[in-house]
Amino acid sequence: MGIYKKLGWFFKDRWKSYLIAIIALLIVAILQLIPPRIIGVVIDEIAMDVITMDSLIKWLVILFVTAVLQYVLRYIWRVNIWGNAQKLEKIMRNRLYKHFTEMDSEFYQKYRTGDLMAHATNDLRALRMVAGGGIVTMADSLSITIITITAMFIVVDWRLTLLAIIPLPFLAVASRYLGRMLHTRFRGAQDAFSQMNNKVQESLQGIKRIKTFGQEKEDIEEFHEQTDNIVEKNREVYKIDSLFDPVLDLIIGSSYVIAIIVGGNLIIDMEISVGEFVTFISYIGMLVWPMFAIGRLFNIIERGSASYERIELLLSEKSGIIERQGADNKPPKGDIEFKVDLFKYPNSEEVALKDISFHIKKGNTLGIVGKTGAGKTSILKLLLRDYDHYDGEIKFGNKDIRNYTLDSLLQSIGYVPQDTFLFSTSIRDNIRFSNPSLSQEKVEMAAKISDIHQDIIEMPNGYDTQTGERGVSLSGGQKQRVSIARALIKNPEVMILDDSLSAVDAKTEEEILRGLKELREDQTTIIVAHRISSLMHADEIIVLDEGEITERGTHEELIEQDGWYHEMYNKQQLEQKNPEFVEEGE
Amino acid sequence: METKVEEESQYRSIPIKEQMITLKRILKYVKPYIKQFVIAIFLVILLAVINAVQPRIIQTFIDDYLATGIATRSTAVMFGAIYFGLTLAKAVVTFFELYLFNIASEKTIQNVRNQLFAKVHRLGMKFFDNTSTGWVVTRVTNDTEALKDFWNVLLNIAQSLLSILTTFGAMLLLDWKVSLWILAFVPLLLIVTRFYQVYSSKTYSEMKSKNSMLNTQLAESINGMSIIQQFRQEKRMIHEFEEVNDSYFQSNFSMTKINAILLSPIINLLYTIAVVAILGLFGYDALQGPVEIGVIYAFTSYVNLFFQPLTRLMDNLSLFQDGVISSSRILNVMDNQTYNPKQKENPDLKIRDAKIEFKNVTFSYDDEHDVLKNISFTVNPGETVALVGHTGSGKSSIINILMRFYEFQEGEILIDDQSIKNYPIQELRHEIGLVLQDSFMFYGTIKDNIRLLDDSITDEEVIRAAQFVQADRFIEKLPGKYEHKVVERGASFSSGEKQLLSFASTIVKDPKILILDEATANIDTETEVLIQEGLNRMREGRTTLAIAHRLSTIRDADQILVLEDGEIVERGPHDELIQLGGRYSEMYELQNLGYIDPSHN
Repeated sequence: MGIYKKLGWFFKDRWKSYLIAIIALLIVAILQLIPPRIIGVVIDEIAMDVITMDSLIKWLVILFVTAVLQYVLRYIWRVNIWGNAQKLEKIMRNRLYKHFTEMDSEFYQKYRTGDLMAHATNDLRALRMVAGGGIVTMADSLSITIITITAMFIVVDWRLTLLAIIPLPFLAVASRYLGRMLHTRFRGAQDAFSQMNNKVQESLQGIKRIKTFGQEKEDIEEFHEQTDNIVEKNREVYKIDSLFDPVLDLIIGSSYVIAIIVGGNLIIDMEISVGEFVTFISYIGMLVWPMFAIGRLFNIIERGSASYERIELLLSEKSGIIERQGADNKPPKGDIEFKVDLFKYPNSEEVALKDISFHIKKGNTLGIVGKTGAGKTSILKLLLRDYDHYDGEIKFGNKDIRNYTLDSLLQSIGYVPQDTFLFSTSIRDNIRFSNPSLSQEKVEMAAKISDIHQDIIEMPNGYDTQTGERGVSLSGGQKQRVSIARALIKNPEVMILDDSLSAVDAKTEEEILRGLKELREDQTTIIVAHRISSLMHADEIIVLDEGEITERGTHEELIEQDGWYHEMYNKQQLEQKNPEFVEEGE
Repeated sequence: METKVEEESQYRSIPIKEQMITLKRILKYVKPYIKQFVIAIFLVILLAVINAVQPRIIQTFIDDYLATGIATRSTAVMFGAIYFGLTLAKAVVTFFELYLFNIASEKTIQNVRNQLFAKVHRLGMKFFDNTSTGWVVTRVTNDTEALKDFWNVLLNIAQSLLSILTTFGAMLLLDWKVSLWILAFVPLLLIVTRFYQVYSSKTYSEMKSKNSMLNTQLAESINGMSIIQQFRQEKRMIHEFEEVNDSYFQSNFSMTKINAILLSPIINLLYTIAVVAILGLFGYDALQGPVEIGVIYAFTSYVNLFFQPLTRLMDNLSLFQDGVISSSRILNVMDNQTYNPKQKENPDLKIRDAKIEFKNVTFSYDDEHDVLKNISFTVNPGETVALVGHTGSGKSSIINILMRFYEFQEGEILIDDQSIKNYPIQELRHEIGLVLQDSFMFYGTIKDNIRLLDDSITDEEVIRAAQFVQADRFIEKLPGKYEHKVVERGASFSSGEKQLLSFASTIVKDPKILILDEATANIDTETEVLIQEGLNRMREGRTTLAIAHRLSTIRDADQILVLEDGEIVERGPHDELIQLGGRYSEMYELQNLGYIDPSHN
């Protein structure tokens, strides 16, 4: 029940609507008692032969009016309660989404997309059940049970009532017990399903490999094992699932049997009339659903609480990036001074960066090279304020970057990441992602410099071509160029290319770099690359190894130093020029 | 693009006739389990009968014993016992009915799934070129899963109809005149049902499409969150999300309203009105003469049984649509004719010397544009022939048709002077080892990834293959070595390591023919050396056809074929071609000037 306390803020907000709904529910519960009673009364009047035209019409009119009233009231509570439940789901979903936008990269390393999606769908559904089905079940089953049993006590006979309701609590117990068992088994079946899902996914992604090795038959056999497993797991589910209705029937049936035997005796003893007996039997029928529902209510609440806890946990996650008080909200301009003595990733003992310092004058270009895992991307992450905790200081325009608001700092940076991600919208909107109101001319200009304009106008819908999951698939090189255009259109003070020309051929790379240089004469550029040709024209190049700077200087200076850079350069050159050298050199 | 059209069409309504055809076809998969279904349906009928008899017991008790005053304590117990017996019978029948039906429907789904999966494997590469993986996965998993609901819907509909019919039969037996009055409600019910169907199906499909929009946007935002944050677009994205979320809420709420107006509340209303009619009729009769009061009780119970299933029936109508849509998507794949190329298999034919010959081969992917034109060349046993050319020149197509991924239109491909079509496909798969460009890794251990699904390969053979291509060096360093678990498609391995594993899995089969499609990925220099050595070792004693991006790697090939627009424009060994001073020497020069990869666009 704690879940209802936790959701108190919502119920408080919607109390009027809930109040109306619950009153309507209660009235319906009372009105429901009238038809069986009227049937009983009419039967008694007929049996005793006291029925008249007037009394008959009177009863029928009452019956009709209660029916119409019930209809109206049912509509009212349904719309209110289900509507509220959906509203709660909507509010929570918006809240989660907003929270997601505030989280840092640490958060996204901790939680995978699939998990976050599950929270935003399954857990919210469980919550909706609490605020909808849960409330209805609680209000309805409680009120119906109390009112019906009271009516049975007062209108018919208290002894009969007490005896007849003996089996009913078992219903709640049974449905709760079975529900729990079902839940565990159901989870087993779901696991089996997702295993099969993974299997299919893998087979299809590796279809060429399976065909190459001629292993279709073996693969199909493996798939059969998966589907067999699903059938077996579901068999366990159905064993329990198929018990629900029979158990319900059996327990309710017992109440009927008691009513027949005891009620029959009471009629023989002239304690109750036949009409009362008929009324009583109808009332028992009305108790079926509330009893069953109470058992279900426990399951709803249990699942809802677990879901709410998971959502609360997510919402309580804090971003490591906090805006400082009085932070500057003017986008920075000028030199970048990077001085980091030590940086470790959170929850990691490994040193990611050590004694890194460099100075980029406004308008200059910095090149960063090194093996995979040498720390190139870590430097960029600190610059972009993905992480704020390190020993040292990074200054941009003579001020610590942590003293700018994120809005203003990132306004000055145009970042082209390693993995290009495009949204499911038109290419145009992808390029002008930073500002959807930018004109077509601006978009085209950015596209031209990024050497993607020609590719775009050759596509069936030009700039309106949809990209992303449901759109056309662009090649790796095309995606990289679109994401360069996306960063470029901001006209940022600093442009960062994080190995973002790897899928572009050398000639195009050269053209893009030349275009950038011309356009951005007074602005700063940072290039990270594997290919030396991408950054050999930089004003300064730093070579990283295991988080430290091992060499630095201009291209010419580095060649003279005769270190790793030189070796790398030679290898890359020689690989193209003299194949034997590589083979013999081994 | 194809996927998108499909996705949209799901929300268009399907004509009734088409629905019935689809239903008929999907029901064929039920055949192997028809016995269980028949028993289950029989039990459903039995249940309906028990349900109809139970009120009769109470009615008889009232009319013949209680009302006449001849009831004794023992008759009360007797009626209680009869009623209990029926209840017990009902419980047992219900259990078996549900269990049998569910298992049968689960097995039917397994049947559909297995057939669908086998069908997918019979489809040719052309199919996979035009279809996204996700689309096919959804067909095999979720659409088949949706059939479970569909069978339940069908059962529910059958059950409801049966219970309505038996109840009406019982009413007729009891009092046919009053029963006919009840019939007057049928047109009313039909009208309500029709109204509900019209309004709900539209809102329902709208709700579903809004929901999928919502989830797509959510998933995409999570995946692209770093971009959203770097470009400071959080507020805009929140706003857009809230709009989609709200429109989902709105359609969800309309559905609730429609259900509240036209679903169970209205059935309840109609039920009570029917009770009014019954009481009125019996009451009127009673004014004229004596009436059996137990009959009134029985009738009111029957009317309840008559109306109750209707809510469920109507509720199931929108789900019925879902089932039809899923079924038609499944059938869509089953009907696909994009098969693997056909073989005219001669089962005894074996590849011995492994001489490959292309004779005037012409090939087109779409039957319109020829990507290979009149290609002829020979690879003698043990020789290496290299294919060189820009992207789209036809290099990969040569491999694709040699692997029988696609059917070629004209000419002949011969292996040991026998048409490639005459070999059993398994023989080709076994003797032709293709090293793929992107080395996809499966879930499982390193060992599994080398031997793949072939259990006849021993552990020693796996280790020997790994040693041969020098993959053992990094494997030995892994925790668990050959038993090391490959997770997330081998994300923890470098592309060079993946290549070496891929070599090992090719070489473990000891194929006579080797086809190499050189990787273009960035590979660190150290592994690169291992890879080059591995390639050279593998080539020894095997007929090899290689696609090379870096011309440096193929200088020692026995013959180099230069392709341009699907034609061989130059052929000969490296030195000859350099002397010729044509396309090849030009490309070679260009690469030395800094064009690392001529095949990149």
